[in-house]
Amino acid sequence: MFVMIENLKYQYNKSTKAIIQNFSLKIKKGEIISILGESGSGKSTILRLLAGLETPNSGSISINDNVIVNHHHFLPPEKREVGIVFQDYALFPHMTVERNIKYGLRKMSRIQKQQRLDEMLQLVRLEDYKNRYPYELSGGQQQRVALARALAPAPSLLLFDEPFSNLDAHLQIKIRNELREILKHTNTTSIFVTHDQTDAVALADRIILLENGSIGNELKPSELASTNYMLQYRTGLRI
Amino acid sequence: MRLIQQVKQQINIWAILSSMFILVILLPAMLVGKHFFAKPNENWLHIKEYLLLDILSNTLVLMAMTGILTTAIGVSLAWLITVYQFPLRNFFKWALILPLAIPPFIGAYTYHGILNYTGVIQSTLRNQFDVQVEQKYFDIMNIGGAIFIFTIFLYPYMYVITKSFLENQSSSIIENARILGGNSIEIFFRIILPISRAAIIGGVSIIALEVINDYGVVKYFGIQTFITAIFQTWAGMSDLDSAFKLAGTLMVVVILLLLFEKFARGRKRYSYSTSKIRPIIPKKLTKSKAMLASGYCAVIFCLAFLIPFAQLFLWMVMTYDKIVTVEFFGLIKNSFFVAAISAVIIVIVGVIIANYTRIYQGIYAKVISKVTVIGYSIPGAVIAISVLSIFVALDNYLLSVFNYFQMDPLIIFRTSIIMLITAYVIRFLTVGYNSIESGFEKIGNSFTEASKTLGVSTIGTFFKVDVPMVKGAIFGGFILVFIDILKELPLTMLLQPFNFFTLATRAFRYANDEMVSEAASASLIIIFISGICIYFFHKISEKGSEK
Ligand SMILES: Nc1ncnc2c1ncn2[C@@H]1O[C@H](COP(=O)(O)OP(=O)(O)O)[C@@H](O)[C@H]1O
Ligand SMILES: [Mg+2]
Repeated sequence: MFVMIENLKYQYNKSTKAIIQNFSLKIKKGEIISILGESGSGKSTILRLLAGLETPNSGSISINDNVIVNHHHFLPPEKREVGIVFQDYALFPHMTVERNIKYGLRKMSRIQKQQRLDEMLQLVRLEDYKNRYPYELSGGQQQRVALARALAPAPSLLLFDEPFSNLDAHLQIKIRNELREILKHTNTTSIFVTHDQTDAVALADRIILLENGSIGNELKPSELASTNYMLQYRTGLRI
Repeated sequence: MRLIQQVKQQINIWAILSSMFILVILLPAMLVGKHFFAKPNENWLHIKEYLLLDILSNTLVLMAMTGILTTAIGVSLAWLITVYQFPLRNFFKWALILPLAIPPFIGAYTYHGILNYTGVIQSTLRNQFDVQVEQKYFDIMNIGGAIFIFTIFLYPYMYVITKSFLENQSSSIIENARILGGNSIEIFFRIILPISRAAIIGGVSIIALEVINDYGVVKYFGIQTFITAIFQTWAGMSDLDSAFKLAGTLMVVVILLLLFEKFARGRKRYSYSTSKIRPIIPKKLTKSKAMLASGYCAVIFCLAFLIPFAQLFLWMVMTYDKIVTVEFFGLIKNSFFVAAISAVIIVIVGVIIANYTRIYQGIYAKVISKVTVIGYSIPGAVIAISVLSIFVALDNYLLSVFNYFQMDPLIIFRTSIIMLITAYVIRFLTVGYNSIESGFEKIGNSFTEASKTLGVSTIGTFFKVDVPMVKGAIFGGFILVFIDILKELPLTMLLQPFNFFTLATRAFRYANDEMVSEAASASLIIIFISGICIYFFHKISEKGSEK
């Protein structure tokens, strides 16, 4: 398995109860996983644990057979090659689109960087915007820059935290289809968390329900979809 | 397991640097503590028996009366400006902050110059109207006069703090009060005062610290306080031990004051809610009431800024050809030099500590953050004697080392500017740090986290993301520290190297030698620069709150 998460446990210093416990998950290379849970159920915490922004109390994570965290090893976020698209995008406001996207490309030559930038801009269709600052872009465009920035260093795992929550409904539908295409096109293993079933169904190969800090039911998108009106969305939009 | 990892993550360049800085800041406090419990000498017993009670009562009276009067003026002005619309309101809104540009000691000698026998008031009365006045009504060289000076030049702290508090309150509070049928005065006493309690107490404690720290006003007016006594025992009698005993006793007063602040403020901190609130919309006053409000603001503005400023300006015009010489430009250079160097060091140290306490949350980081802000509550004179005794010990040590190798010492700290700058850094780090910390608080952690997940190290992130994003706050901190140092008197008086004067110490020396008009030029430069900075800040915060 490409990504192996085993028995993860996490408790915030101030709280009395573990937010995440007995959390295990295996992901194949190139698979798109969606973690579905209510607000406050610990979705963002899981992503932060994967990215190395929090240290688990116990449990282990490995990617491509490299251990990134276990009980005597902790790889800091900058060495993990785990990309993340934050809920509020966190685009650097003092940098243009171009500099934002190039930010994570440190080991490349200048020509390689430029190539990668052009590739990314083309992928998210923002060729004409590279000299703009984030505040000069619409919400949907910002979201695409955030995606391009996270994709540019070719992370082995890409995480999305409620990627559509800041977008208008019609944009949501459009972008999430684009997103799935891009992720499949680049064969990027990804996890995105959401509280919105529609998003989960539209994007994921596999949907995981987060209940009480660990994994509840696991579903195929079609199963979730067939049980309710999501089916219409899925069939109407992607097939 | 997680503990070990957390400890491992905590030990890094940031923690080490921060801990070093903190140690330097803590040194004066520890030194004062050590001396406070040491065996007293005869001089101290004498001071304790004959002087201490006077000193204590003067200090307490000055603190209490200034606290009450600045509260009355500052809160009432803040309330008028936020809740009502009246002529010139927009001008007064920032003009009422302007008196902060005038250091109280400059105000003190200016008012004495205005009111004394040869001053403009009495000579006009004498020459134009042939009126002789009773001198005692025009004498402000007493404790009442000092309270007046402190009140008019320090009330802006209260005004600024309560104003920004009230501006962040929802209009519904006042609307409800109006609906429930209270008139304006009732609303002021029953609503405004109680809800502003935490802000007011914060303001009072800042003002009290300023009063405690003062040397210029009380020295000029001949009032004994802890600071004047420290100057006497040390500069006059070279009795460092007693100076430290006085410093220790004063620190007990400061600690009691800070405890009072903590308890009086209670659990309510004046943090502003971040969610969108409907701001208070100023209500138009009827004609006569509006005149009254404008008149009140105008009186305070004239007393606290316009009159002393005009007098200083006249004096400058009278004497500038005598004063503005090569030596004068030397003063400006000195002042700018020490202020700029110290401010640069402070913002660098401030950024490092603020970045550390932000990234590594935990008890140790919290302690560091708390300790960083104690410098400002230690009076300048106390920091001065501590820093001096440390550098004297260092000099003696170096001397013995160099003697051993039969060499001349390469540097003597006690006569160098390094000592002065060190003391400034300890005293004013709080000011720079607070500005930078609030800058970091505004941007949050997500940009830093985003940078790290893109493969950039903590150090790289610091220079590429953290610093550029808080550069406004860094610049703001620099300016605040710069003008504080420009105005600083007691610490500079005690530690300035031989023949090294700043604008402030020169102005004070002139004024103390009864050469008030000569003091005016130096004073005006301080006021001018501080005034511009204050205006600038007002504009920025105005813009910030409109967003
Ligand atoms: N820094 C923190 N300290 C303490 N508790 C936290 C912290 N951050 C989040 N929590 C708590 O952890 C739980 C899970 O948070 P989160 O992972 O953000 O949930 P979600 O993303 O699913 O909405 C919530 O109950 C939240 O209150
Ligand atoms: Mg969340």
